[in-house]
Amino acid sequence: MDVRVCGMFSAAVLFRLVLLCVGVYQDQNLQLKYTDVDYHVFTDASRFITQGESPYRRSTFRYTPVLALMLTPNVLLTAHFGKLLFCGCDLLSGWLLLRLLALRGTSRGSALVCCGLWLLNPLPAGVSTRGNAESVLAALVLSTLLCLECRRLAAAALLFGLSVHMKIYPLTYALPIALSLAEAPSRERGLVPNLVRLFNRDLLLFAAVSGSVFMALNGTFYCIYGWDFLHESYLYHVTRRDIRHNFSPYFYMLYLTAEGSGTGSGIWSGIWSGIWSGSWSGIWSGSWSGSLALVLFVPQLLLVLLSSLAFRSDRPFCCFLHTAVFVSFNKVCTSQYFLWYLCLLPLVVPRLTLGRRRGLALLLLWIVGQALWLSPAYSLEFEGRNSFTLVWMAGLLFLLINSFILGQIIGHYRPIEAQRKKTD
Amino acid sequence: MSADRTCIIFYLLSAVLYFIHNGNSQEGIFNAKHADHCFPSEFLESLSMSMKITKAGFHRDLLYSVEWGKVDHDVKALLVQKMPSGVYMDEYQLETLKHDTGLEVLLDSKVDLEAPEYLSSGFTALVFLSGKHEATVPVHGRYHRPSNSSQKWVTVEIEPPRLLLRSDQCVLPHHEATEAPCTVRNHSICSWLEIRRLEDTGPVSLEIPVGDSSMTLCVCVGTVLTAALSCVFLLRSIWRHGTF
Repeated sequence: MDVRVCGMFSAAVLFRLVLLCVGVYQDQNLQLKYTDVDYHVFTDASRFITQGESPYRRSTFRYTPVLALMLTPNVLLTAHFGKLLFCGCDLLSGWLLLRLLALRGTSRGSALVCCGLWLLNPLPAGVSTRGNAESVLAALVLSTLLCLECRRLAAAALLFGLSVHMKIYPLTYALPIALSLAEAPSRERGLVPNLVRLFNRDLLLFAAVSGSVFMALNGTFYCIYGWDFLHESYLYHVTRRDIRHNFSPYFYMLYLTAEGSGTGSGIWSGIWSGIWSGSWSGIWSGSWSGSLALVLFVPQLLLVLLSSLAFRSDRPFCCFLHTAVFVSFNKVCTSQYFLWYLCLLPLVVPRLTLGRRRGLALLLLWIVGQALWLSPAYSLEFEGRNSFTLVWMAGLLFLLINSFILGQIIGHYRPIEAQRKKTD
Repeated sequence: MSADRTCIIFYLLSAVLYFIHNGNSQEGIFNAKHADHCFPSEFLESLSMSMKITKAGFHRDLLYSVEWGKVDHDVKALLVQKMPSGVYMDEYQLETLKHDTGLEVLLDSKVDLEAPEYLSSGFTALVFLSGKHEATVPVHGRYHRPSNSSQKWVTVEIEPPRLLLRSDQCVLPHHEATEAPCTVRNHSICSWLEIRRLEDTGPVSLEIPVGDSSMTLCVCVGTVLTAALSCVFLLRSIWRHGTF
């Protein structure tokens, strides 16, 4: 094995071990705990499973039972097992990135540098050592992409089905995957034969395997845990309207228009609760906020559709763009969500013609955008100042910054098809 | 002769009845004495309780302090704190604190950690002070309805708790007792003595920032415009640089 690769991975392992030790020390000795609340939620849910009960007895456990099952050694062996597993998934993601970059024709040197963007980055290392499960999904998504590059469709479909079961957002990758697997439409035939040609053997196989895996997992867990599983794992995330402050640009608007439709979403629940409360203003604001919630899906939908069509030849870039857009325009956004597209950034970087200085400037801009949000949010939550307007404006600014950075990335990217055309 | 016998039986019966009655009342007197001895009036005079709220923002600490004079048996105190719908306590955080610092708090119902104030109801927290005189209980503010006046904060008042005392060494007469769980584990109910004549410490209040609903239109328009602008900008970039 290459010395440099060994060195990189050893540094990544050491970095995470140091953070784990810091975490253990901080948890035992300081008031402010290192470990995230979510980790305790996972452990409690796993404990319920070891006792033969539903993990959804633990309130705020809004994940798949697969996660609680994976973390049962937390209860049976050591409480640190989960963190070690997540760090292992981090390192696996790094290895998958290296393989993917090699397959896409990147030189060893630049591939290592790009991997370093993930392996030595404090954000993913911090998130995994704090006990968040985002790296599991990163590993699943990257392995799906790797299997697709190697044309191992059945394995890719299995991993894809599992990823979508664990979190909803990889579902958006179905479109670029489908478009890249389908045959290119030909001008000679008509519309209907072209549509039929779209559904070729590869695409049907992928759809069948991933669909069966998804339905099998959901069916099994629905039989065991019932409605709780469907509600907590999926419906909550789709209908969720968290009015507490977060990075999303829509947070303040949703907070101010929250009442009227209560915690429901959609026009009909809004109107119904308005009628029930017996007030016209209730009905009006209910239907208004309900339709507002629907309208907020439009930018995400449009951008995801167009980017799938535009970059279907370059799957990793397309997936990166999807996730970045999805997170930036989502109704709720916390810092964990950034990892969803950060794991795909090393695949995009080798083909960027931005130049080092511009790249660093964009990175700095992104960090400044976050800092400008974190400052009023901290004074709101921990100092009691009424900085709602500042948090709102910082949220809008962060959206503008994210859009600008994405625009720069799109404008300076050489898609893989252009490369192929040049070599042909 | 039979009259004598009847008289003796009568006297014996009345003597027995007298002793039974007297014994009972003596027991009663014994109990009352014991309760007096348990919590004598000097002890009740020496009782004082204070409640403070510290920190700022949405995450606060309630500091309780109960003081009493010297007494020769153990005293267990229980604070029954009614909480309004504007705040909540995290049962999982309390569980962790029980392991770390020995804080014993029992909540009477399941508290939703995420709901806003207008969708929540109040609850009662039982703070057990076993051998300790102080407790620090974390509370968190809920998001409130946005205000349609220029009010930037909403005040949530927390009334002072009820103080209950008991001791393992004495039994309280039933007519004076309040029923409550014996310990934080809530396995059994005990009789507690409610102390009513405490100096009123007054409620504590916390101020929680609220949104400004007069800005609703401005916020909606500004947000939708910014989102639309960003969306159009990105669509344009994708259209220019994508291959179709």
